[in-house]
Amino acid sequence: MTIGKGLGEVLHPVGRFGKGTGKMRYIVLFGAVTLAAAPASAAVTPPAFSFRVSADGVAGGGVASDFGSVQQTGANEWLFSGAYLASPGTSLSWTYLVDSDPFVTGTFTMTNETAAARAYVIDFSLPIAPALSASLLSGQVAGTLTDANGSGSALLTSVGGGFVYSALADDAFVQGLMANASHQVSTANGTSSFSGGSFGFPTPVAGPAINLTIGIRFSFSLSAGDSVSFSSVFVANPVPGPATLMVAATFAAIGRRRRTS
Amino acid sequence: MNLVIPNRRAFACGSLAASLLAMPSSAGFVMGGTSIGVTTSAGTGSQTNSMTQISPTTWSATGSWSTPTASVSWMNNTFGWNNTSQNGFANGNITVRNNTSAAQDFDVVLNMGGTAGGPLSVSGSIGGQFVNGSTSLGSVTSVGPLWQARVDNSAIRSELNNALFFAQPFQVISLGNFNFTNLLFDGSVGSSVALQFSLRLSAGGEASFTSTIAFQSVPAPGVAALIALAGGCGTSISPIGRRRRSIRS
Repeated sequence: MTIGKGLGEVLHPVGRFGKGTGKMRYIVLFGAVTLAAAPASAAVTPPAFSFRVSADGVAGGGVASDFGSVQQTGANEWLFSGAYLASPGTSLSWTYLVDSDPFVTGTFTMTNETAAARAYVIDFSLPIAPALSASLLSGQVAGTLTDANGSGSALLTSVGGGFVYSALADDAFVQGLMANASHQVSTANGTSSFSGGSFGFPTPVAGPAINLTIGIRFSFSLSAGDSVSFSSVFVANPVPGPATLMVAATFAAIGRRRRTS
Repeated sequence: MNLVIPNRRAFACGSLAASLLAMPSSAGFVMGGTSIGVTTSAGTGSQTNSMTQISPTTWSATGSWSTPTASVSWMNNTFGWNNTSQNGFANGNITVRNNTSAAQDFDVVLNMGGTAGGPLSVSGSIGGQFVNGSTSLGSVTSVGPLWQARVDNSAIRSELNNALFFAQPFQVISLGNFNFTNLLFDGSVGSSVALQFSLRLSAGGEASFTSTIAFQSVPAPGVAALIALAGGCGTSISPIGRRRRSIRS
Protein backbone atom coordinates (compact mmCIF):
# COMPACT_ATOMS: atom_id res chain seq x y z
CA MET A 1 0.00 0.00 0.00
CA THR A 2 2.63 2.45 1.00
CA ILE A 3 4.84 1.47 -1.86
CA GLY A 4 2.02 2.01 -4.31
CA LYS A 5 1.23 5.41 -2.96
CA GLY A 6 4.88 6.35 -2.98
CA LEU A 7 5.23 5.31 -6.58
CA GLY A 8 2.34 7.49 -7.54
CA GLU A 9 3.93 10.46 -5.89
CA VAL A 10 7.39 9.74 -7.32
CA LEU A 11 6.24 9.04 -10.86
CA HIS A 12 4.19 12.17 -11.06
CA PRO A 13 7.14 14.45 -11.99
CA VAL A 14 8.12 12.11 -14.86
CA GLY A 15 5.40 13.37 -17.14
CA ARG A 16 6.24 16.93 -16.40
CA PHE A 17 9.86 16.21 -17.25
CA GLY A 18 9.09 14.54 -20.58
CA LYS A 19 10.44 17.47 -22.59
CA GLY A 20 13.83 17.46 -20.93
CA THR A 21 17.24 16.68 -22.39
CA GLY A 22 18.19 13.28 -23.78
CA LYS A 23 20.32 12.50 -20.76
CA MET A 24 17.51 13.33 -18.46
CA ARG A 25 15.11 11.22 -20.50
CA TYR A 26 17.48 8.27 -20.11
CA ILE A 27 17.62 8.70 -16.36
CA VAL A 28 13.87 8.96 -16.15
CA LEU A 29 13.40 5.93 -18.39
CA PHE A 30 15.89 3.94 -16.27
CA GLY A 31 14.07 4.87 -13.15
CA ALA A 32 10.72 3.97 -14.61
CA VAL A 33 11.99 0.60 -15.84
CA THR A 34 13.52 -0.11 -12.45
CA LEU A 35 10.29 0.67 -10.70
CA ALA A 36 8.23 -1.25 -13.22
CA ALA A 37 10.42 -4.29 -12.62
CA ALA A 38 9.42 -4.34 -8.97
CA PRO A 39 7.34 -7.39 -8.06
CA ALA A 40 3.76 -6.88 -9.07
CA SER A 41 1.44 -7.78 -6.24
CA ALA A 42 -1.92 -7.53 -7.97
CA ALA A 43 -3.88 -10.47 -6.65
CA VAL A 44 -6.41 -12.36 -8.73
CA THR A 45 -7.49 -14.85 -6.10
CA PRO A 46 -8.38 -14.01 -2.51
CA PRO A 47 -5.72 -14.67 0.08
CA ALA A 48 -6.19 -17.57 2.46
CA PHE A 49 -7.31 -15.33 5.31
CA SER A 50 -7.98 -17.73 8.15
CA PHE A 51 -9.20 -17.83 11.71
CA ARG A 52 -8.69 -20.08 14.69
CA VAL A 53 -10.98 -20.29 17.70
CA SER A 54 -10.08 -21.89 20.99
CA ALA A 55 -12.80 -22.03 23.66
CA ASP A 56 -11.47 -23.39 26.93
CA GLY A 57 -8.86 -25.26 24.95
CA VAL A 58 -11.24 -26.74 22.38
CA ALA A 59 -9.98 -25.63 18.98
CA GLY A 60 -11.79 -24.86 15.74
CA GLY A 61 -11.56 -22.56 12.76
CA GLY A 62 -10.72 -22.58 9.09
CA VAL A 63 -10.31 -20.39 6.03
CA ALA A 64 -12.65 -17.42 6.36
CA SER A 65 -13.95 -17.64 2.81
CA ASP A 66 -15.31 -21.13 3.59
CA PHE A 67 -17.63 -19.65 6.19
CA GLY A 68 -19.03 -16.63 4.41
CA SER A 69 -18.37 -14.32 1.52
CA VAL A 70 -15.33 -12.62 0.07
CA GLN A 71 -15.13 -9.86 -2.50
CA GLN A 72 -12.35 -7.85 -4.04
CA THR A 73 -12.54 -4.17 -3.19
CA GLY A 74 -9.17 -3.02 -4.55
CA ALA A 75 -6.07 -4.22 -6.37
CA ASN A 76 -4.90 -6.13 -3.29
CA GLU A 77 -7.83 -5.55 -0.97
CA TRP A 78 -10.39 -8.17 -0.06
CA LEU A 79 -13.41 -7.98 2.18
CA PHE A 80 -14.33 -11.08 4.16
CA SER A 81 -17.66 -11.48 5.94
CA GLY A 82 -18.80 -14.61 7.65
CA ALA A 83 -19.93 -16.48 10.69
CA TYR A 84 -18.82 -19.56 12.56
CA LEU A 85 -20.74 -21.57 15.12
CA ALA A 86 -18.28 -23.41 17.31
CA SER A 87 -19.67 -26.08 19.53
CA PRO A 88 -20.56 -25.98 22.21
CA GLY A 89 -22.13 -22.57 22.54
CA THR A 90 -19.72 -20.19 20.84
CA SER A 91 -20.84 -18.09 17.90
CA LEU A 92 -18.54 -15.81 15.96
CA SER A 93 -19.12 -13.40 13.08
CA TRP A 94 -16.72 -11.09 11.31
CA THR A 95 -16.18 -8.44 8.67
CA TYR A 96 -12.51 -7.94 7.79
CA LEU A 97 -10.80 -5.93 5.11
CA VAL A 98 -7.37 -7.31 4.34
CA ASP A 99 -4.52 -6.38 2.04
CA SER A 100 -1.66 -8.75 1.41
CA ASP A 101 0.62 -5.72 1.02
CA PRO A 102 -0.27 -5.93 4.12
CA PHE A 103 -2.89 -4.86 6.63
CA VAL A 104 -5.79 -6.41 8.51
CA THR A 105 -8.69 -4.32 9.75
CA GLY A 106 -12.24 -5.10 10.72
CA THR A 107 -14.66 -6.23 13.36
CA PHE A 108 -15.67 -9.51 14.91
CA THR A 109 -18.42 -10.29 17.38
CA MET A 110 -18.48 -13.28 19.67
CA THR A 111 -21.18 -14.58 22.00
CA ASN A 112 -20.70 -17.04 24.82
CA GLU A 113 -23.94 -18.96 24.75
CA THR A 114 -22.96 -21.36 27.50
CA ALA A 115 -23.91 -21.16 31.17
CA ALA A 116 -20.39 -20.46 32.41
CA ALA A 117 -17.60 -17.98 31.81
CA ARG A 118 -15.11 -19.22 29.24
CA ALA A 119 -11.63 -18.36 28.09
CA TYR A 120 -11.20 -17.71 24.39
CA VAL A 121 -8.29 -17.32 22.01
CA ILE A 122 -9.22 -16.11 18.54
CA ASP A 123 -6.63 -15.64 15.81
CA PHE A 124 -7.01 -13.99 12.42
CA SER A 125 -4.11 -14.65 10.07
CA LEU A 126 -3.29 -13.26 6.64
CA PRO A 127 -0.62 -14.51 4.21
CA ILE A 128 1.45 -11.61 2.90
CA ALA A 129 3.29 -10.90 -0.33
CA PRO A 130 5.94 -9.79 -0.79
CA ALA A 131 7.89 -10.62 2.35
CA LEU A 132 9.17 -7.68 4.35
CA SER A 133 12.87 -7.56 5.24
CA ALA A 134 12.02 -5.03 7.92
CA SER A 135 8.71 -3.52 8.94
CA LEU A 136 7.01 -0.50 10.44
CA LEU A 137 4.01 -1.41 12.54
CA SER A 138 0.86 0.23 13.83
CA GLY A 139 -2.27 -1.12 15.46
CA GLN A 140 -5.32 -0.22 17.45
CA VAL A 141 -8.37 -1.80 19.06
CA ALA A 142 -11.74 -0.78 20.50
CA GLY A 143 -14.71 -2.82 21.54
CA THR A 144 -18.15 -3.14 23.07
CA LEU A 145 -19.22 -5.55 25.80
CA THR A 146 -22.91 -6.46 26.05
CA ASP A 147 -25.07 -8.12 28.66
CA ALA A 148 -26.67 -10.23 25.97
CA ASN A 149 -28.74 -12.46 28.23
CA GLY A 150 -30.17 -9.68 30.36
CA SER A 151 -28.73 -11.12 33.55
CA GLY A 152 -27.73 -7.69 34.82
CA SER A 153 -24.00 -8.09 34.38
CA ALA A 154 -21.28 -8.91 31.87
CA LEU A 155 -17.56 -9.22 32.38
CA LEU A 156 -14.59 -9.29 30.01
CA THR A 157 -11.09 -9.81 31.34
CA SER A 158 -7.72 -10.60 29.93
CA VAL A 159 -6.43 -14.08 30.69
CA GLY A 160 -3.71 -14.19 33.30
CA GLY A 161 -3.13 -10.46 33.02
CA GLY A 162 -1.93 -10.84 29.46
CA PHE A 163 -2.82 -8.83 26.37
CA VAL A 164 -6.31 -9.04 24.94
CA TYR A 165 -4.97 -7.83 21.56
CA SER A 166 -1.70 -9.20 20.22
CA ALA A 167 -0.27 -8.30 16.83
CA LEU A 168 1.42 -11.30 15.25
CA ALA A 169 4.13 -11.52 12.61
CA ASP A 170 4.81 -15.02 11.30
CA ASP A 171 2.67 -16.21 14.23
CA ALA A 172 5.04 -14.58 16.72
CA PHE A 173 4.05 -11.81 19.11
CA VAL A 174 5.25 -8.32 18.11
CA GLN A 175 2.99 -5.85 19.93
CA GLY A 176 0.21 -6.05 22.50
CA LEU A 177 -2.69 -3.96 23.79
CA MET A 178 -5.16 -4.21 26.67
CA ALA A 179 -2.93 -5.87 29.24
CA ASN A 180 -4.66 -6.61 32.55
CA ALA A 181 -7.96 -5.58 31.00
CA SER A 182 -11.20 -5.77 32.91
CA HIS A 183 -14.45 -4.34 31.56
CA GLN A 184 -17.89 -4.88 32.93
CA VAL A 185 -21.55 -4.08 32.38
CA SER A 186 -23.74 -3.71 35.42
CA THR A 187 -27.06 -2.89 33.74
CA ALA A 188 -29.46 -5.51 32.46
CA ASN A 189 -29.26 -5.60 28.65
CA GLY A 190 -26.63 -2.86 28.84
CA THR A 191 -23.48 -2.27 26.88
CA SER A 192 -20.07 -0.83 27.69
CA SER A 193 -17.76 0.45 25.00
CA PHE A 194 -14.03 0.78 25.50
CA SER A 195 -10.97 2.01 23.69
CA GLY A 196 -8.20 -0.53 23.94
CA GLY A 197 -5.35 1.79 22.99
CA SER A 198 -2.93 1.81 20.11
CA PHE A 199 0.68 1.50 19.05
CA GLY A 200 2.47 3.10 16.14
CA PHE A 201 0.14 6.11 15.94
CA PRO A 202 1.00 8.54 14.54
CA THR A 203 4.56 7.28 14.04
CA PRO A 204 4.83 3.56 13.21
CA VAL A 205 7.15 1.53 15.39
CA ALA A 206 9.98 -0.62 14.05
CA GLY A 207 9.14 -4.28 13.60
CA PRO A 208 10.85 -7.46 12.49
CA ALA A 209 11.23 -9.04 9.09
CA ILE A 210 7.96 -10.68 8.13
CA ASN A 211 8.05 -13.57 5.69
CA LEU A 212 4.72 -15.35 5.70
CA THR A 213 1.85 -13.92 7.69
CA ILE A 214 0.56 -11.09 9.81
CA GLY A 215 -2.30 -11.53 12.22
CA ILE A 216 -4.18 -10.44 15.30
CA ARG A 217 -4.81 -12.60 18.34
CA PHE A 218 -7.58 -11.88 20.82
CA SER A 219 -7.33 -13.62 24.17
CA PHE A 220 -9.94 -12.99 26.84
CA SER A 221 -12.42 -14.45 29.27
CA LEU A 222 -16.12 -13.70 28.73
CA SER A 223 -18.99 -14.19 31.16
CA ALA A 224 -21.85 -16.58 30.47
CA GLY A 225 -24.49 -15.56 27.98
CA ASP A 226 -22.77 -12.35 26.99
CA SER A 227 -21.16 -10.98 23.87
CA VAL A 228 -18.27 -8.79 22.86
CA SER A 229 -17.37 -6.97 19.66
CA PHE A 230 -13.85 -5.89 18.74
CA SER A 231 -12.85 -3.53 15.96
CA SER A 232 -9.15 -3.51 15.27
CA VAL A 233 -6.42 -2.76 12.80
CA PHE A 234 -2.89 -4.01 12.28
CA VAL A 235 -0.73 -2.47 9.56
CA ALA A 236 2.77 -3.60 8.59
CA ASN A 237 4.56 -1.36 6.14
CA PRO A 238 7.91 -2.19 4.58
CA VAL A 239 10.92 -0.17 5.60
CA PRO A 240 12.25 1.43 2.43
CA GLY A 241 15.37 -0.48 1.37
CA PRO A 242 18.58 1.08 -0.02
CA ALA A 243 17.60 0.43 -3.63
CA THR A 244 14.20 2.05 -3.16
CA LEU A 245 15.78 4.99 -1.42
CA MET A 246 18.34 5.35 -4.24
CA VAL A 247 15.64 5.42 -6.92
CA ALA A 248 13.61 7.89 -4.89
CA ALA A 249 16.71 10.03 -4.37
CA THR A 250 17.35 10.00 -8.13
CA PHE A 251 13.91 11.35 -8.84
CA ALA A 252 14.23 13.86 -6.05
CA ALA A 253 17.47 15.10 -7.58
CA ILE A 254 15.78 15.37 -10.94
CA GLY A 255 13.04 17.41 -9.40
CA ARG A 256 15.51 19.72 -7.72
CA ARG A 257 17.52 20.18 -10.94
CA ARG A 258 14.40 21.03 -12.87
CA ARG A 259 13.31 23.58 -10.31
CA THR A 260 16.71 25.24 -10.33
CA SER A 261 17.01 25.29 -14.13
CA MET B 1 -64.97 -23.46 63.32
CA ASN B 2 -61.58 -24.83 62.47
CA LEU B 3 -63.16 -26.92 59.72
CA VAL B 4 -64.82 -23.93 58.06
CA ILE B 5 -61.90 -21.58 57.81
CA PRO B 6 -59.67 -23.77 55.58
CA ASN B 7 -62.58 -24.25 53.25
CA ARG B 8 -63.07 -20.51 53.00
CA ARG B 9 -59.39 -20.06 52.34
CA ALA B 10 -59.37 -22.76 49.70
CA PHE B 11 -62.34 -21.16 48.04
CA ALA B 12 -60.73 -17.73 48.08
CA CYS B 13 -57.44 -18.98 46.66
CA GLY B 14 -59.24 -21.02 44.03
CA SER B 15 -61.16 -17.95 42.94
CA LEU B 16 -57.96 -15.92 42.67
CA ALA B 17 -56.27 -18.59 40.60
CA ALA B 18 -59.22 -18.74 38.27
CA SER B 19 -59.18 -14.95 37.95
CA LEU B 20 -55.49 -14.92 37.05
CA LEU B 21 -55.87 -17.68 34.50
CA ALA B 22 -58.68 -15.73 32.89
CA MET B 23 -56.57 -12.57 32.52
CA PRO B 24 -55.70 -11.46 29.02
CA SER B 25 -52.24 -12.75 28.03
CA SER B 26 -50.64 -9.33 28.22
CA ALA B 27 -47.14 -10.86 28.20
CA GLY B 28 -47.71 -13.02 25.17
CA PHE B 29 -45.10 -11.68 22.79
CA VAL B 30 -45.22 -14.27 20.08
CA MET B 31 -42.47 -14.25 17.49
CA GLY B 32 -43.67 -13.87 13.97
CA GLY B 33 -40.28 -14.02 12.30
CA THR B 34 -37.22 -11.85 12.03
CA SER B 35 -36.15 -9.95 8.95
CA ILE B 36 -33.39 -7.54 8.02
CA GLY B 37 -33.82 -4.67 5.61
CA VAL B 38 -30.96 -2.68 4.08
CA THR B 39 -31.33 0.52 2.09
CA THR B 40 -28.30 2.49 0.95
CA SER B 41 -27.22 5.12 -1.51
CA ALA B 42 -24.40 2.73 -2.44
CA GLY B 43 -26.79 0.70 -4.58
CA THR B 44 -28.67 -2.54 -4.41
CA GLY B 45 -27.15 -5.75 -3.17
CA SER B 46 -27.86 -9.38 -2.51
CA GLN B 47 -28.81 -10.64 0.91
CA THR B 48 -28.52 -13.88 2.81
CA ASN B 49 -29.97 -14.53 6.23
CA SER B 50 -29.73 -17.77 8.15
CA MET B 51 -32.01 -18.46 11.11
CA THR B 52 -30.72 -20.96 13.65
CA GLN B 53 -32.68 -22.10 16.68
CA ILE B 54 -30.34 -22.03 19.64
CA SER B 55 -32.93 -22.72 22.37
CA PRO B 56 -36.64 -23.53 22.42
CA THR B 57 -37.47 -19.82 22.35
CA THR B 58 -34.33 -18.19 20.97
CA TRP B 59 -33.27 -17.78 17.38
CA SER B 60 -30.06 -16.49 15.90
CA ALA B 61 -30.18 -14.49 12.69
CA THR B 62 -26.85 -14.44 10.89
CA GLY B 63 -26.33 -13.02 7.46
CA SER B 64 -25.08 -10.34 5.18
CA TRP B 65 -26.08 -7.90 2.51
CA SER B 66 -23.41 -7.11 -0.01
CA THR B 67 -22.55 -5.44 -3.23
CA PRO B 68 -19.10 -4.49 -4.53
CA THR B 69 -19.71 -0.99 -3.19
CA ALA B 70 -20.88 -1.79 0.33
CA SER B 71 -21.62 -4.52 2.81
CA VAL B 72 -23.70 -5.07 5.90
CA SER B 73 -23.32 -8.13 8.11
CA TRP B 74 -25.13 -9.10 11.25
CA MET B 75 -25.46 -11.66 13.99
CA ASN B 76 -28.48 -11.14 16.19
CA ASN B 77 -30.31 -13.28 18.69
CA THR B 78 -34.03 -12.85 19.13
CA PHE B 79 -36.09 -14.27 21.92
CA GLY B 80 -39.81 -14.88 21.83
CA TRP B 81 -41.74 -13.81 24.85
CA ASN B 82 -44.34 -16.23 26.07
CA ASN B 83 -44.90 -15.73 29.76
CA THR B 84 -44.48 -13.21 32.53
CA SER B 85 -41.17 -14.56 33.69
CA GLN B 86 -39.32 -14.07 30.42
CA ASN B 87 -38.21 -11.06 28.49
CA GLY B 88 -38.74 -10.73 24.80
CA PHE B 89 -35.54 -9.34 23.42
CA ALA B 90 -33.17 -8.91 20.56
CA ASN B 91 -29.46 -8.37 20.80
CA GLY B 92 -26.53 -8.58 18.52
CA ASN B 93 -24.16 -6.84 16.21
CA ILE B 94 -24.50 -5.09 12.88
CA THR B 95 -21.42 -4.07 10.90
CA VAL B 96 -21.74 -1.66 7.98
CA ARG B 97 -18.97 -0.92 5.49
CA ASN B 98 -18.70 1.59 2.67
CA ASN B 99 -16.37 0.35 -0.08
CA THR B 100 -16.84 3.32 -2.37
CA SER B 101 -14.69 6.42 -2.73
CA ALA B 102 -17.48 8.74 -1.54
CA ALA B 103 -19.70 9.05 1.52
CA GLN B 104 -22.80 6.86 1.49
CA ASP B 105 -25.99 6.65 3.53
CA PHE B 106 -27.19 3.43 5.10
CA ASP B 107 -30.47 2.46 6.70
CA VAL B 108 -30.59 -0.95 8.35
CA VAL B 109 -33.69 -2.31 10.09
CA LEU B 110 -33.88 -5.44 12.22
CA ASN B 111 -37.57 -6.23 12.34
CA MET B 112 -39.16 -8.75 14.68
CA GLY B 113 -42.77 -9.59 14.00
CA GLY B 114 -44.89 -10.23 17.06
CA THR B 115 -47.64 -9.02 19.32
CA ALA B 116 -47.84 -8.15 23.00
CA GLY B 117 -50.35 -6.46 25.24
CA GLY B 118 -49.24 -3.43 27.18
CA PRO B 119 -48.17 -1.80 29.29
CA LEU B 120 -44.56 -2.80 28.78
CA SER B 121 -41.29 -1.91 30.43
CA VAL B 122 -38.52 -1.48 27.89
CA SER B 123 -34.76 -1.50 28.38
CA GLY B 124 -31.98 -1.41 25.86
CA SER B 125 -28.58 -0.19 24.88
CA ILE B 126 -26.24 0.54 22.00
CA GLY B 127 -22.49 0.76 21.73
CA GLY B 128 -20.13 0.71 18.81
CA GLN B 129 -16.87 1.32 17.04
CA PHE B 130 -15.78 3.04 13.86
CA VAL B 131 -12.87 1.97 11.69
CA ASN B 132 -11.51 4.31 9.07
CA GLY B 133 -10.07 2.00 6.45
CA SER B 134 -9.00 4.78 4.13
CA THR B 135 -6.00 7.04 3.77
CA SER B 136 -8.13 10.17 4.36
CA LEU B 137 -9.89 11.56 7.39
CA GLY B 138 -12.99 9.44 7.95
CA SER B 139 -16.30 10.00 9.69
CA VAL B 140 -19.57 8.45 10.72
CA THR B 141 -22.60 10.67 11.18
CA SER B 142 -26.20 10.04 12.08
CA VAL B 143 -28.94 10.58 9.52
CA GLY B 144 -31.64 11.61 11.94
CA PRO B 145 -31.26 9.46 15.05
CA LEU B 146 -28.57 6.88 14.43
CA TRP B 147 -30.36 4.27 16.54
CA GLN B 148 -34.08 3.86 17.12
CA ALA B 149 -36.24 1.30 18.87
CA ARG B 150 -39.57 1.16 17.07
CA VAL B 151 -42.92 -0.43 17.88
CA ASP B 152 -45.36 -0.81 15.02
CA ASN B 153 -43.19 1.52 12.97
CA SER B 154 -43.20 4.32 15.55
CA ALA B 155 -40.06 5.28 17.47
CA ILE B 156 -40.26 4.77 21.22
CA ARG B 157 -36.60 5.54 21.92
CA SER B 158 -33.67 6.99 20.01
CA GLU B 159 -29.97 7.28 20.76
CA LEU B 160 -26.98 8.87 19.08
CA ASN B 161 -28.97 11.81 17.80
CA ASN B 162 -26.87 14.27 15.80
CA ALA B 163 -23.86 11.99 16.11
CA LEU B 164 -20.59 12.92 14.43
CA PHE B 165 -17.33 11.05 14.88
CA PHE B 166 -14.01 11.49 13.09
CA ALA B 167 -11.13 9.06 12.73
CA GLN B 168 -7.68 9.42 11.25
CA PRO B 169 -6.59 7.03 8.47
CA PHE B 170 -6.59 3.44 9.74
CA GLN B 171 -7.73 4.58 13.16
CA VAL B 172 -10.23 2.71 15.32
CA ILE B 173 -12.42 4.74 17.64
CA SER B 174 -15.07 3.86 20.20
CA LEU B 175 -18.49 5.43 19.65
CA GLY B 176 -19.37 5.11 23.33
CA ASN B 177 -22.34 3.38 24.85
CA PHE B 178 -25.88 4.42 25.69
CA ASN B 179 -28.17 2.52 28.05
CA PHE B 180 -31.74 2.95 29.22
CA THR B 181 -33.94 0.97 31.58
CA ASN B 182 -37.55 0.93 32.74
CA LEU B 183 -38.89 2.92 29.83
CA LEU B 184 -42.67 2.61 30.23
CA PHE B 185 -44.54 1.92 27.02
CA ASP B 186 -48.28 2.18 27.61
CA GLY B 187 -49.34 0.84 24.26
CA SER B 188 -49.43 -2.65 22.88
CA VAL B 189 -47.30 -4.27 20.22
CA GLY B 190 -49.65 -4.83 17.35
CA SER B 191 -47.35 -6.29 14.75
CA SER B 192 -43.64 -5.65 15.19
CA VAL B 193 -40.68 -4.40 17.17
CA ALA B 194 -37.73 -3.07 15.24
CA LEU B 195 -34.24 -1.67 15.68
CA GLN B 196 -33.25 0.88 13.07
CA PHE B 197 -29.77 2.22 12.26
CA SER B 198 -29.43 5.30 10.06
CA LEU B 199 -25.95 6.56 9.30
CA ARG B 200 -23.60 8.12 6.80
CA LEU B 201 -20.19 6.57 6.34
CA SER B 202 -17.20 8.20 4.71
CA ALA B 203 -15.29 6.40 1.97
CA GLY B 204 -13.71 3.23 3.30
CA GLY B 205 -15.49 3.60 6.63
CA GLU B 206 -16.78 0.75 8.73
CA ALA B 207 -19.13 1.10 11.68
CA SER B 208 -20.05 -1.68 14.05
CA PHE B 209 -22.95 -1.48 16.49
CA THR B 210 -23.91 -3.81 19.28
CA SER B 211 -27.36 -3.19 20.66
CA THR B 212 -30.10 -4.75 22.73
CA ILE B 213 -33.76 -4.22 23.38
CA ALA B 214 -35.85 -6.09 25.94
CA PHE B 215 -39.52 -6.02 26.86
CA GLN B 216 -41.09 -7.00 30.14
CA SER B 217 -44.76 -6.85 30.96
CA VAL B 218 -45.92 -4.41 33.61
CA PRO B 219 -48.88 -5.86 35.49
CA ALA B 220 -51.84 -3.49 35.72
CA PRO B 221 -52.64 -2.36 39.31
CA GLY B 222 -55.61 -4.71 39.61
CA VAL B 223 -53.58 -7.64 38.39
CA ALA B 224 -50.76 -6.80 40.75
CA ALA B 225 -53.18 -6.76 43.66
CA LEU B 226 -54.58 -10.14 42.66
CA ILE B 227 -51.08 -11.57 42.35
CA ALA B 228 -50.14 -10.25 45.77
CA LEU B 229 -53.27 -11.73 47.28
CA ALA B 230 -52.80 -15.04 45.53
CA GLY B 231 -49.16 -15.18 46.50
CA GLY B 232 -50.15 -14.73 50.09
CA CYS B 233 -52.38 -17.82 50.04
CA GLY B 234 -49.45 -20.07 50.71
CA THR B 235 -47.71 -17.80 53.16
CA SER B 236 -48.39 -16.06 56.39
CA ILE B 237 -48.47 -12.58 54.90
CA SER B 238 -51.95 -12.53 53.42
CA PRO B 239 -54.97 -11.16 55.26
CA ILE B 240 -56.49 -14.62 55.05
CA GLY B 241 -53.45 -16.16 56.69
CA ARG B 242 -53.36 -13.54 59.36
CA ARG B 243 -57.06 -14.00 60.06
CA ARG B 244 -56.62 -17.74 60.34
CA ARG B 245 -53.78 -17.37 62.82
CA SER B 246 -55.75 -14.89 64.86
CA ILE B 247 -58.72 -17.24 65.07
CA ARG B 248 -56.49 -20.15 66.12
CA SER B 249 -54.97 -18.10 68.86
